[in-house]
Amino acid sequence: MINYLYKIFIEKMITISNLQLRFKEEHIYKNFSLSVQKGEHIAISGDSGKGKSTLLHLLLGFIPDFKGNINIAGIPLTAKNIKAIRKKIAWLPQEIALNFQTVEELFMASFALEINKAHKPSLQEIANIFNTFELSESLLKKDIKEISGGQKQRILLASTLLTKKPIVLLDEPSSALDSKIKKKITDYIMAQDITIIAATHDDYWVAKSDKTIHLN
Amino acid sequence: MKEIVDISYLELFAGYALMLIPVFVFWYYKTGLVKDTLWATIRMTVQLLLVGFYLDFIFKLDSVLVNIIWVLIMSVIASYTIVQRSRLSYRLFLFPVLLSGIISIAITDAYFLGFVIKLDNVFDARYFIPITGMLLGNTIRTVILSLDSFYKKIDDEQTTYRWYLANGASRKEALQPFMRSALRIAFNPLIATTAIMGLISLPGMMTGQILGGSNPNIAVKYQIMILIIIFSSAILNVVLTIWFSNKIAFDAFDNLRLNIFRKRK
Repeated sequence: MINYLYKIFIEKMITISNLQLRFKEEHIYKNFSLSVQKGEHIAISGDSGKGKSTLLHLLLGFIPDFKGNINIAGIPLTAKNIKAIRKKIAWLPQEIALNFQTVEELFMASFALEINKAHKPSLQEIANIFNTFELSESLLKKDIKEISGGQKQRILLASTLLTKKPIVLLDEPSSALDSKIKKKITDYIMAQDITIIAATHDDYWVAKSDKTIHLN
Repeated sequence: MKEIVDISYLELFAGYALMLIPVFVFWYYKTGLVKDTLWATIRMTVQLLLVGFYLDFIFKLDSVLVNIIWVLIMSVIASYTIVQRSRLSYRLFLFPVLLSGIISIAITDAYFLGFVIKLDNVFDARYFIPITGMLLGNTIRTVILSLDSFYKKIDDEQTTYRWYLANGASRKEALQPFMRSALRIAFNPLIATTAIMGLISLPGMMTGQILGGSNPNIAVKYQIMILIIIFSSAILNVVLTIWFSNKIAFDAFDNLRLNIFRKRK
């Protein structure tokens, strides 16, 4: 509780005010506002098609034709600022087909980018997170086709967290995890001092988050 | 060296009898291709006969200005074909495709005609027009394949492209996997054709030169050079086309504009 109150009084990491978004005739967001503090963990829940992923896409500048104001890490979301904003974010979509041969290439894909090269994880960091996520390091040498959906999700989650970005956006981060490992990984992620917004159907994730926004 | 045997118009007409074979096969299997085949044959005949007359006229005239205009017309037609076959917007893509075509031709023509074979006049109709025609004809397919696969793949795999952007990649970095894939798709056939050249097929230009009375050694040397300039012209054309079209294909947030694709009728 003290920790949560502390976070609230620190600083706003994301603010959305009077957001309006329409696809053709349908209002996806109408006067939607949200304020996320630094280090706060937000769960976005709601039925499929209610705009959970859309909210993440909006924050990433993938849907520029919205009305209202979005501010990320003190920077207004505009075309001019989008590069600076994206440098502060790590995003893991629900489904991603990165065209790599080995698990190691997949795991290291983020760190091949110029912006993340400085955060390339040490062998110890990899060993630690693999241990927490119950992944064997020998997996790194395997062909991507040989690993399960759950293993792939854990690999990508681990890689996303190791980029050490202040804001992490996750789309259904636990959808392919079985219940035992799901709890362990959720607890680990919730213990991180980073701002997290996750679109999720997962009750445990919702329960562990600081705040839940239910879209309907 | 023996004189080349001319084909009289009557003999040419007799040669068309061979087309009865595909027409019969298409008709027998009810492919619906008979009309298209006949129409394509008629078009090909008329176009080539007209080109024969034009070239005869242009070669006799041999004016630098007319030769350049002729090559520009060929470039416009090639660019139109590329955009049409790539299913991209004419309005947005015609100019970048044309510009890239002209630049790549100018570089490779200038190098080959001016530096390698050291023509006094690089616009000499006997060299400038057929060489450029061959360059255009042989690079069209490669440019179509690369453009089509590049933009289609970004559209099909939008999440992947976005993942790169969202994780801090510059647009250039985010596009690299797609560029790599487009180059592989477009150039693999050209690499394969180059590798088997002379073993399975005798290239058209060399055959034409030999039939025209040239020494086979000279014909081979020209053919080697032609294959090399086709390769470099194609890669220049592809890279420049994608580079120029990138400026209009993405919005200020680096998102792919969906209006770059032509609407399906």
